[in-house]
Amino acid sequence: MNELNRRDVLQQLAILLGGTISAPVLAGIRGEKTYHGISVEATTKQINIIREVADLIIPSTGTPGAKAAKVEEFIVRVVKDCYTQEDQNHFYAGLDQLNADCKSVHGKEFLEANATQQKEALTKCMLEADQERKANRGKKAPTPFFFMIKELSTTGYFTSKIGASEALEYLPIPGKFDGCMPLSPSQKTWAI
Amino acid sequence: MNLAIDAIKKQTFDAIVVGSGVSGGFAAKELTEKGMRTLVLDRGKQLDHITGYEPTYKDPWDFKYNGLLTQEQKTTHPKLARDYPYNEKSQNYWFNDSDSMYKEEKRFDWFRPNIVGGKSIMWGRQSYRLSDIDFEANLKDGIAIDWPIRYKDIAPWYSYVEKHVGISGEALGLPQLPDSDFLKPMDMYCVEKEARVRIEKAFPGRNLTIGRVANLSEAKKAQLEIGRSQCQYRNKCNLGCPYGAYFSSQSCTLPPAAKTGLMTLLPNSLVSEIIFDNQKQKAKGVRVINTITHEVKEYYAKVIFICGSTVSTTALLLNSTSSRFQNGFGNDSGELGHNLMDHHFRIGASGVWEGDEDKYYFGRRANGIYVPRYRNIGNDKRDYVRGFGYQGGGSRQSWNRGVNDLSFGADYKESMTKPGPWTMNLGGFGETLPYHENKMYLDKTAKDKWGLPIVVFDAEFKENERKMRIDMLNDAKEMLEAAGFKNIRAYDNGCYPGMAIHEMGTARMGRDPKTSVLNGNSQVHAAKNVFVTDGASMVSTSCVNPSLTYMALTARAASFAVGELKKHNL
Repeated sequence: MNELNRRDVLQQLAILLGGTISAPVLAGIRGEKTYHGISVEATTKQINIIREVADLIIPSTGTPGAKAAKVEEFIVRVVKDCYTQEDQNHFYAGLDQLNADCKSVHGKEFLEANATQQKEALTKCMLEADQERKANRGKKAPTPFFFMIKELSTTGYFTSKIGASEALEYLPIPGKFDGCMPLSPSQKTWAI
Repeated sequence: MNLAIDAIKKQTFDAIVVGSGVSGGFAAKELTEKGMRTLVLDRGKQLDHITGYEPTYKDPWDFKYNGLLTQEQKTTHPKLARDYPYNEKSQNYWFNDSDSMYKEEKRFDWFRPNIVGGKSIMWGRQSYRLSDIDFEANLKDGIAIDWPIRYKDIAPWYSYVEKHVGISGEALGLPQLPDSDFLKPMDMYCVEKEARVRIEKAFPGRNLTIGRVANLSEAKKAQLEIGRSQCQYRNKCNLGCPYGAYFSSQSCTLPPAAKTGLMTLLPNSLVSEIIFDNQKQKAKGVRVINTITHEVKEYYAKVIFICGSTVSTTALLLNSTSSRFQNGFGNDSGELGHNLMDHHFRIGASGVWEGDEDKYYFGRRANGIYVPRYRNIGNDKRDYVRGFGYQGGGSRQSWNRGVNDLSFGADYKESMTKPGPWTMNLGGFGETLPYHENKMYLDKTAKDKWGLPIVVFDAEFKENERKMRIDMLNDAKEMLEAAGFKNIRAYDNGCYPGMAIHEMGTARMGRDPKTSVLNGNSQVHAAKNVFVTDGASMVSTSCVNPSLTYMALTARAASFAVGELKKHNL
């Protein structure tokens, strides 16, 4: 059997994701076995925070954002069923930390904070994640929470019906192939 | 009495074909078209053409996990889940590990389809001819045994199957990679076109061409007649194509076989044994276990084609013991199960292209580029034997390029909706030598749920492959560098036998019954009415994708078998 289709998937993934997607998720997309574990159940509050954070990462612009695409459902499901237990714990600990930090800085929990305060809290979380990433370079450590949720939100959104067909352009049946044509200014990224 | 005779009559055919994949489907087509009443047995479940391809009708967002595996799937499929072909989108086409037990003295990734049509549904469709450089290699290198055939023996059969199948590609006139009877080539990305010019200029003797692929870039009469149509560039082939635009048994060989009215196709039919007739020194039929009811039945025929795919074919031969064949059917040489081979890959380089930002593409090409073998050809001499080719291709980075950047919000989202830079990847596929000690055998103390002994693998890549991999990595890097790519990343992701799903050998052809299982007509030396025409028969692997060769060997053997029957030689 070979090849290109499977291999294409592998190779194009490698190119497409080249150096950007974390190893466990890349392994997960390829279908490699990484871990067997017991899943963490998200609370309603945690799910609500995930929904808000995803929508801060991918807001509604000229096209609908993460909330409209119900990206939180994707995130909760993938974390539960595809992340290792260690990564699940790290993910929810990071989420709780974001909420706690928001409260200590702004006096309000994340869900009660206004949009500006939420953005500030997430920016702080992002910059700390960058520090954490730099400190962990060369060490075996979980991906910082911000990059986990950014990867999940982005993937969940751009593979949703809204993300793929409105923010991006999706052609279910192209019917022909042209490998080298002028890029028109209005052309969006192909969804797949 | 009469009832018993009637039952035997009902269970008697002119020919039996075990397996319905690339080889079995072709055997069914050729034998029925030559007037043989043919029984086709497959242990997998029925998969109807078009209506059976449920996942192909789904859009990306219809997959609950976006194709990821759940922990539950990882538990039920611990071995399959080690690699990427098994995932949410394709899971119904593969066996559960619990139904596909096997043991590993050394790691072997065994991918087993659980459907009629076998891996012809999920295959990668890359289709290349072997050349005399391949057929003469063992003899020249003094390795294993010589192929009993040469290119001229199989060339007309390549043409014959290609005209029916439809292979898209570009003629190059290279001695190491003979041209097929091509349909028009698919287009290349701008980045691939420019890389080709620069690589061919920097490295005379190296070529970069579009992949040769069993997809209909155009549909000719031979294809239209059997209800196939041209490729729609959806790149969802491995889920089953409702347009019949790529070669599968369902699209290409089973319909013409069915049209003759002479084919009986039985899914869920696991062949456990070939029955040997000691008096006639021929096989008389096969024993079949219904995989659902476990009911056992026998079927009889004048000719039997074993096309179960390499490992299953040899497991069946090994399990078919008798007073004549105490160590496995046709195993007078002791070579049955030995010389297990696969290609080695998962190594190469990728880089980023600066330029062509004003260029884009339309459609999803279910194909990549190909760099034919150039090592150890002509005056090139390396510290290993044989060679490798590259598969790969260009692409433009997509929305996922920004996930690790320090950004979020409206600007981040909007920038991801515009295409990123062009990139290109070259991934090597290397030839593996036939080593006698690389083998599979049966563990008769352990049984699967149908009571059959389970397969044990004991095979590994060795020094020749390791040395070749150094070139596979460095050459990919130097070609991308010469072509002007930046941020080049060379990678070796490691490789175990089985991963390429090009398992070959274990019942090799040869001239001498003392050192081979099959003769040059794909016949078992010691039971002339049994033919093996899948990967098991391969004497060496070449570095090219093997399925096209199985098709040609099958058509050739079917023609020979029917000729021999007519001459009363079988």
